[in-house]
Amino acid sequence: MLAFISRRMAAAAAMLLVIGTIIFSLLIIIPGDPAELLLSTGGGSASPEAIANLRSNMGLDQPVLVQYVSFLYNTARLDFGTSIVDNGSISSVIALRLPRTLEIIVAGTILALLLAIPAGTAAGLRAGGKFDIATSAINALLTSVPGFVLGTLFIYFFAQVLGWLPAGGYVALATNPAQHLQMLILPSLTVGLHLATIVFRMTRASVLEMRGHDWVRTAVAKGLRRKNVVRRHILYNALGPIITVVGLQLGILLGSTVLVEFVYNWPGLSGLLVSAVEQRDYPTVRAVILTVAAIFIGINLVIDILSSLLDPRIRLQ
Amino acid sequence: MMSVRSFPKRMIVPSLLLAALIIIPFVAPLITAEDPVKIAVRYRLAAPDLAHWLGRDEFGRDRLARVLYGGQVSLTVAFAATTIACIIGTFFGLIGAYFRGPSEFVTSRLSDIVLCFPPILLALLVVTLFGPGAGTLVAVLSVLYFPTFARITFSEALRVTSLDFVEASRALGTPSHRIVLGTILPNIAGPLSVQYSLTAAAAITIESGLSFLGLGVVPPAPSWGQMIRGARQFMNQDPLGIMIPCAALVLTIYAINFFCDRLRDTLDPKGASSSSMDEVSKPLALADAPAIRDPNVVAVISNLRLETARFGTPAAVVEDVSLTLRANQCTALVGESGSGKSLSSLALMGLLPGAIRQASGTLQLRRKSGEVVDLGFLDARTLEDIRGNDIAMIFQEPMTSLNPIHKISDQMIEAILAHRPMSKADARAHAIQLLKRVGMNDAEQRIDSYPDQMSGGMRQRVMIGMALTCEPRLLIADEPTTALDVTIQAEIIELLQSLRQDQGSGLSLLFISHNLGVVADIADRVAVMYSGQIVEEGPADQILRDPHHPYTRALIESMPSSHEELHSTGGDRLPAISGTPPLPSARPSGCTFRDRCPIALPACAEIRPALYPSADGERAVRCLRAPEAPAGLMNHQTEAA
Repeated sequence: MLAFISRRMAAAAAMLLVIGTIIFSLLIIIPGDPAELLLSTGGGSASPEAIANLRSNMGLDQPVLVQYVSFLYNTARLDFGTSIVDNGSISSVIALRLPRTLEIIVAGTILALLLAIPAGTAAGLRAGGKFDIATSAINALLTSVPGFVLGTLFIYFFAQVLGWLPAGGYVALATNPAQHLQMLILPSLTVGLHLATIVFRMTRASVLEMRGHDWVRTAVAKGLRRKNVVRRHILYNALGPIITVVGLQLGILLGSTVLVEFVYNWPGLSGLLVSAVEQRDYPTVRAVILTVAAIFIGINLVIDILSSLLDPRIRLQ
Repeated sequence: MMSVRSFPKRMIVPSLLLAALIIIPFVAPLITAEDPVKIAVRYRLAAPDLAHWLGRDEFGRDRLARVLYGGQVSLTVAFAATTIACIIGTFFGLIGAYFRGPSEFVTSRLSDIVLCFPPILLALLVVTLFGPGAGTLVAVLSVLYFPTFARITFSEALRVTSLDFVEASRALGTPSHRIVLGTILPNIAGPLSVQYSLTAAAAITIESGLSFLGLGVVPPAPSWGQMIRGARQFMNQDPLGIMIPCAALVLTIYAINFFCDRLRDTLDPKGASSSSMDEVSKPLALADAPAIRDPNVVAVISNLRLETARFGTPAAVVEDVSLTLRANQCTALVGESGSGKSLSSLALMGLLPGAIRQASGTLQLRRKSGEVVDLGFLDARTLEDIRGNDIAMIFQEPMTSLNPIHKISDQMIEAILAHRPMSKADARAHAIQLLKRVGMNDAEQRIDSYPDQMSGGMRQRVMIGMALTCEPRLLIADEPTTALDVTIQAEIIELLQSLRQDQGSGLSLLFISHNLGVVADIADRVAVMYSGQIVEEGPADQILRDPHHPYTRALIESMPSSHEELHSTGGDRLPAISGTPPLPSARPSGCTFRDRCPIALPACAEIRPALYPSADGERAVRCLRAPEAPAGLMNHQTEAA
């Protein structure tokens, strides 16, 4: 088990290194001077001093290899450098905003699992039944609604028409817990429903597959109660495939979180990223993307370990 | 694979819907003469009227024109990017698959890296460097998606290149490019088109998302994402502003997904025709069962008829099967695959597969308490109490009959706890005891292994041990040795024999097999099944030494000579039974065996033989030519014909 975990961790670290290298080399391989490119707005180019200033600031005047090594070294220390725009420390901005993004992701994931796993199981157990047909139709429709569209429609219905919930914004949990939670509902529901469509589909398919296996018949033949057969011999077996697929889909989830945060004015990583892209603040964009990629890889590492706990065959290999 | 000639019916609606949604934006000039970018601030947020069906937006621009032209932009970006990604990806994938070597590595690794990246973030990264715009979007999206195409092409092509006919044409000297274009490409077109639609939908989502952030298509060019962005601030006064582009976007993505789902179902019908019923179909109360007086009788199947519950007209897979199982007796159910022997026994467990329905007959069981129950009248709860407790079953496939992700201990303990309230530790001790009883060495250690760490023979011992949990009165063994190798087979049979002897409560064993040699060793009574019916039944020694039904005779004659004593001929050639058993839906008139029967007469085509009992009532046979058959029957019918 320990060997398995360390193997997976090494693979995750290698993946991070590759991604860091790709992000680093993007700046090298683009044609022209990156400093000039980043400072150009529309047609006008920036003053030579500004360009020279940025170049030395980002270390672009040093040899590529030196740049690369210091980039890796600094990234490993979680030092992402300073913003082009306001010279502030990027690391501290990320440290401030990352927890807010994680909050939405965690709340959304919990919501998605609570909704989709029971629904998917019920639909899979009675595939072709009324419940299955209804939920599958709703799911097909929801799958086709991009996160930001769902968010916009939610604001319209829940905030504008019904007036139940705030249209967006953020208040720190410490300042006003009730209001904080109120503001968390719509963003996490939006992210959660999006993820729920994927979890539902996978749960349904996985349950449908598992219930046909011989061991389910054995379990019934043993005289187990129906709910135990479903829980221990169908659902438990189905969980492995479900979380693996969910892990792979998390990239899309993280992407839609960016948009959802923007829709609800939630000051997580997304606002930072969008304004940084608008202002072509490459170091900040790079840092945010590395952070998100690290989260993605981290979650997948956890999922790998979880599924090996669920299925002995993975770690026995 | 989908044939081009016959367009599948299920594809018509999604194809038309998708085609309409793709074509309409591009014929925008025919629908409206308005200019999508002409600003008329005086009419901002005007309500719909005859000239402007969908009203005007926050700059007074005609909304219908903007939705249509915006669709052009969104669709062009998405489909251009998808097409480029598809072409480049397919190219790389084919090269990787056909020539293997380093290109294979590049193809498969590259997609791993891109796949672990949130696509929209990669897009944002590139937009930072190159600035927003439709061109940038197409470039980013193609780069994002081509590795997926490469991977799919690669793995599909790898599958196809290893097919016999491709190997053959390569051996015949067909040039590489002809094989790739002529043979491989058409074969991987299916999965590729599914991926194409998936990617197009994803690309539209990303394009509209970026435009919504103001980082995609540059204003004033219309795009759906931008329209939502613009109308957001005014949703209070003008909800139509967000509804229209949202609807357009959702409808388009839905149409693509819908098309894609149907396409996948058409290409791979396995997934689509998933079973629509429960995995188990319940025993039914269809008739009053005859009373059982003999206290030695453990179970009675009477006049059982099972039918297929799906696919049009029901066909009988088991017909008129009656069987009485007694304590301290081993009854063997013999017949070739598909004869209905397993289904008959599953019916007795209340474990019929969902595709099979009990059409008539009754299933009765004497519980340990002595009470006789009719399975059809029991609720699900009582059935659960009976299974594993009064009646247990060992299945044919020990490799798949145990759940691979639970330890043996957990699977045995749950079986014990299902029927006997006791502590987990006691249950575990009991489980170890059971494993010892079925001859498992190191039971204390072995009990904590997973099924995959055990051999087939050990797993079958576990299955037997589990079946013995509650000392059932009836044990059904459904070809328990078929999947095992010969030496293990003998051990398992020996084990079953010894269990029969030392279980005090008078175990009744229903042993299902197609191996007459094993049956001769273990059975007291034999019932031979053919094509869903019992064709001969009686004491094992009588039936095996002096079979009255030609099918039983043929079965015995086709057996290898290890059981020399059973053979009447004793020659070195094994006669085979010619022909194949009829399908349940296409049984011939009269006797179902007559087409393969060496002694069939014309009358056999007219009369459906019943099971004729012998004078002493010990045995019965379903054959017009058997000594048990009423003498007059044959002559009478022959004359009539």
